[in-house]
Amino acid sequence: MFKRKKKALSVALAATLAVSLTACTTPSSTGTSSTDKATATAAATGTAAPSGKIDTSEFQTISYVMLGDKPKNGQFEKVMEKLNGILKQKANAKLEIKWVEWADWQTKYNLLLASGEPVDLITVATDWLDTWQNAQKGAFMPLDKLLPVYAPLTWKEVPPENWAETKYKNQIMLIPEDHYTQWVNHGFLYRGDWAKEFGITAPITDFKMMETYFQGVKDKKPGVVPWDANGTAAGNIGGYINSYTDAIELPVSTGLFGLIYGKSYDERYKAYSPILDDTFVDFAKLMKSWGDKGFWREDVLNYKGDNRSELEAGKSSVDQHHTQTFLGERIKMDKLQPGSDLQFFPFSATRNNLVSMSITHGGTSIGAKSKHPERALMVYELIRQDPEVYRLMNYGLEGVQYVIKDGKRFRPDGYDVQRDDFYSNFWGGRIDKNEIPDGNDWSGKGALYASYDKIKKPYPYGRFVFDKGPVTNELTAVTQVVGQMGPAILYGKAGDPVKAVDEFRAKLKTAGFDKLMAEVQKQLDAFKVTVESTK
Amino acid sequence: MARQRGTDFSSVAIRLFGYFFIGLFALFCLLPFLLVLGTSFTAEKSITLHGYNLWPKEFSTFAYKIVFENPGLIIGSYGVTLGITMIGTTIGLFIVAMTGYSLQRPDFPYRNRISFFIYFTTLFQGGVVPFYLIMTQWLHLKDNYLAVLLPGLMSPFLIIMMKSFVTSIPHAITESAKMDGAGDFKIFTKLILPMTTPALATIGLFIALGYWNEWYNAMLFLSPDLKYRPLQLFLYNVVTSADFIKNSSVSSNVQPRDMPLESMKMATAVVATGPVILFYPMVQKYFIKGITVGAVKG
Repeated sequence: MFKRKKKALSVALAATLAVSLTACTTPSSTGTSSTDKATATAAATGTAAPSGKIDTSEFQTISYVMLGDKPKNGQFEKVMEKLNGILKQKANAKLEIKWVEWADWQTKYNLLLASGEPVDLITVATDWLDTWQNAQKGAFMPLDKLLPVYAPLTWKEVPPENWAETKYKNQIMLIPEDHYTQWVNHGFLYRGDWAKEFGITAPITDFKMMETYFQGVKDKKPGVVPWDANGTAAGNIGGYINSYTDAIELPVSTGLFGLIYGKSYDERYKAYSPILDDTFVDFAKLMKSWGDKGFWREDVLNYKGDNRSELEAGKSSVDQHHTQTFLGERIKMDKLQPGSDLQFFPFSATRNNLVSMSITHGGTSIGAKSKHPERALMVYELIRQDPEVYRLMNYGLEGVQYVIKDGKRFRPDGYDVQRDDFYSNFWGGRIDKNEIPDGNDWSGKGALYASYDKIKKPYPYGRFVFDKGPVTNELTAVTQVVGQMGPAILYGKAGDPVKAVDEFRAKLKTAGFDKLMAEVQKQLDAFKVTVESTK
Repeated sequence: MARQRGTDFSSVAIRLFGYFFIGLFALFCLLPFLLVLGTSFTAEKSITLHGYNLWPKEFSTFAYKIVFENPGLIIGSYGVTLGITMIGTTIGLFIVAMTGYSLQRPDFPYRNRISFFIYFTTLFQGGVVPFYLIMTQWLHLKDNYLAVLLPGLMSPFLIIMMKSFVTSIPHAITESAKMDGAGDFKIFTKLILPMTTPALATIGLFIALGYWNEWYNAMLFLSPDLKYRPLQLFLYNVVTSADFIKNSSVSSNVQPRDMPLESMKMATAVVATGPVILFYPMVQKYFIKGITVGAVKG
């Protein structure tokens, strides 16, 4: 018995020793060859940045984790072959894409980072891929020292205030996609031809005009549901708040729809809930009247149909989604419902309340366990900055996936989607200067973007991560109230709107909404301090 | 119908009544499936306009075209699933039966404690992250079909089920065989296994269905680098990516493609059910017996 114990003890000792040994060796073994190691440590300490002498003598394979399904028609391999030829020449490296598919990507993506598998480049996003939470767990490598050496163009291109947005504990965690224009602000997609028919000549810019349009559809288009909304969608409340207040939604999820906003861009560190003032009452009254007028179906709360395909089939007159969707739908509708002249009423049109997309909606990080971060950055730099590599990565092969006419991109003759389709889902560093405009884009896109550019304000909450810890119970309870009582109010099915709102607020109060708001305010105050200290 | 004893009126009435209701019930079970079948052959536009129909208003095989966009891949996936199901069921059945039998042998000293450990895992589990770490970092089973095969081999529920079934076999049989000079393994294979056919059929069906429907472990451990992955994961991917491309709000630059989402869901369901329907009648007679015997013995 005693003997056995002794043996167990020695095994345990050996194990601890092994663990501590590996722990000691990990940091210095980042490079695979000794020369690499030297540059790595030099770069990591930052004392002596190698003056333009970067060692690429050893061929390396760089992995890049992408979100999406691996293309299956063989085009991807062809493009990668060409791309890797260039990478071999310019960086003596090869790119290997690893896909995290849409089948349960939420779990898989985070597991990949949690498991400590060595990934080099990885697509990140602070607003939909939990980047800050993963950074807290140490999933990413700080890039401050590496960037100026291995990705100098990108390093200079991103202005300091944007780098500030990528910092966790004062270290750069990701390279933002800050030079790419995209808009996902929501609004109503409606039919221009019908609007004209009802005497609406100016573009729709508020909910009142929308009502006129709906009424027109109701009266003059039998068989069409003005807005065949789905009771589980909550776009109308967010849109109303966007239209009638200056509030900016905070990244604090309360389930079906957000209750917590920043007061306005100027008072962005002040927590505010439009649910508690007249905004919500007015909204509830309006929705009740819309519901009573039959702008959506009677069974809206149980209805699970697809609003968009109904719009495309001419069975509904409106869809509620974001700008990018509108731009795609516009072209589609011109084909499916010729003459429909699809128009867009962005919620920001009412009082110019528009914040840009977060610059960290897309980005690229380097995994903490990456074996060759230096070369990975060099490859990233090539993808982002080298027009040839950029086009291969984003559009595929010229002549197969696209042809250029008058500086615009078109599909070649005889292009077959199933056979020729290519995508790499590179959402981690697209850049306007290397984009070739799509020849099929709707002609009004430029004007729409220009109108946004005139009023946009930078997104202020890119780095705000709400720590749910202190209010988990309250948040859960509030989320439940929103899910239970929300839909009925949102679609005017809760009876007397004033009474319904009162009841909703009372339930929220019981659920601990006040405490939640106080906690948000407290964290916003702390956030303000960090933002101002890094400016 | 009424050939034998029950020629009197009440007996006929009961039969009519019985056939009527069972027929009705069978119809209710069958209708949804027919609806799935019908919808899978309907053009997406017609679904939007008229809803689901038993008989397609506008016939279209577009959904199947998308699912079978790459016939080689789907046939490969079928092969993987079939292989895993057959190997997994054979090995799993053997192991579960052996465990269940050993656990109820009165001359197995720690049977209750070990039973408890097995039972314990149904109450408390490690969670996804430890499971993932063990599979990928310790066992290095990433991109290995074993990652799908191994976790499905045994399940506490099936072991307990087997154990309670074997309890019905008197221990005297084991003892007398032992006296005749049979070894434990021989007793198990020659005596116990043949006597537990109904239970084996039931458990086998459970294991087989488990493997047939398996996609979660495959999703976690088999990356797209692997050419062929289990069928359910393949089909699930077809549907989720179509769904995602249609409703992408996170990624604004996904190329929109025409996806017949509704009919496609149905088409994948049909593709996935096919072989199970063929397989089921073969084990049906054992299945019913196994379920009832298991239930009575608790």
